[in-house]
Amino acid sequence: MSYTGSSNPEYVNARVRSRRSQLYDEEEYRKLTRMGPAEIARYMEESEYEEEINALGSRYSGVDLVEYALNRNLAKQFHDVLRWSDGRLYQFVVRYLQKFDAWNIKTVIRGIYADVDKQSVDDDLIRAGEFDDRRLDQLVEAGTIEEVVNRLDGTMFGDPLAEAYEDYEETGVLVPLENAVDRAFYENLLEGLTFDEASADYRDFLRAEIDFRNARNALRLARSGADIDPAEYYIEGGKLFSASELSTLASNPDELVNRLRESSYGDDLSGALDDLEEANSLIGFERALEAALLEYSRNLGNVHPLSVAPVVSYILAKEREVENIRAIARGREAGLSEDEIEDELVIL
Amino acid sequence: MFDIALQLANVLLQEGGSAAPAIPNKAAAALAVGLAAFGAGYAERGIGSAAVGAVAEDSDLFVQGLILTVLPETLVILALVVVFLVPA
Repeated sequence: MSYTGSSNPEYVNARVRSRRSQLYDEEEYRKLTRMGPAEIARYMEESEYEEEINALGSRYSGVDLVEYALNRNLAKQFHDVLRWSDGRLYQFVVRYLQKFDAWNIKTVIRGIYADVDKQSVDDDLIRAGEFDDRRLDQLVEAGTIEEVVNRLDGTMFGDPLAEAYEDYEETGVLVPLENAVDRAFYENLLEGLTFDEASADYRDFLRAEIDFRNARNALRLARSGADIDPAEYYIEGGKLFSASELSTLASNPDELVNRLRESSYGDDLSGALDDLEEANSLIGFERALEAALLEYSRNLGNVHPLSVAPVVSYILAKEREVENIRAIARGREAGLSEDEIEDELVIL
Repeated sequence: MFDIALQLANVLLQEGGSAAPAIPNKAAAALAVGLAAFGAGYAERGIGSAAVGAVAEDSDLFVQGLILTVLPETLVILALVVVFLVPA
């Protein structure tokens, strides 16, 4: 039944389902792929993005306007979800939304590394995670990466980042820092939660996400041919691979594909795996992974209506929408054809 | 557990005591209605909060939300029939 003993999950689910029904559907994407950036902005103004487009319309135009409006709306929507939920539901949702804390930290670090001015870093933040505005402003104000690391002391990112900072000082590349942030997020996802029947399925979903991420990292490493040990990128908590297995599989992509095909995700991914073997297209495979995850979360939401599952499935669907619209806007700007853009979209 | 139930039944049926039961017919019917109302209330708790959520998103749903919220009241109405069926 309910997580909290109160009827909060019912309330949150009703609102989330309503929000979900307002997401763009296939028909609307098709319309959007025929528009230019300015038309997309106008189209968005007539839908749920009205407020953001109006607020940002005087400062930006074209693709930038679309992109910042998308980010801002995403932050608003997820902030709403957090505001509605209570008790255990909040615990589950906030852990998932810490994804954006990780994103923000990475944005800030990259901004300092690339010496970008503070205003544009600030514009790129997605204020949807657990960190409040004050902490994010502090991070943006930080002048050096060391300062960022120090200011995160006490959060779950603090210790891993402090360790990775030493690596960074030695090598001068951002990879260890970004990797530390991602790992801190994923490993914290499953820690210290107790699970009942409905949330056990949710745990399986999180494991699937971790598995997919591991698989994707391994494939990317195998493709790039870089001389990096995949075990360093390994994220704990998945059920498909162990760290040592992943190292061996990464040097042998065919084996990795076979492993995926034989796993419990095989049915969902078989089409994509065929594509991967034939066309060698990693992009297509990554889209397929995302679509499979989206479908998985949606099914879970239907099986366990009064759990965290519908909320997470909405969060994923919203993220997809934002990425789809961004891909359309960027694709149109770069002059891609409609078919090429449609290949970039993940539509369910 | 079972022993207690038996004893309770004994008390209720007043075996060996006076002829009138501890709970008169009408009072028992009233209890039944009360329990049914309890069930209806529990059902409305979830529906109500979902309905409020839906109305907050789209105020056109107010009428539908209201109707769905009070549907479990039919439980109470049906239980009320018992009161008239039971002889005094």
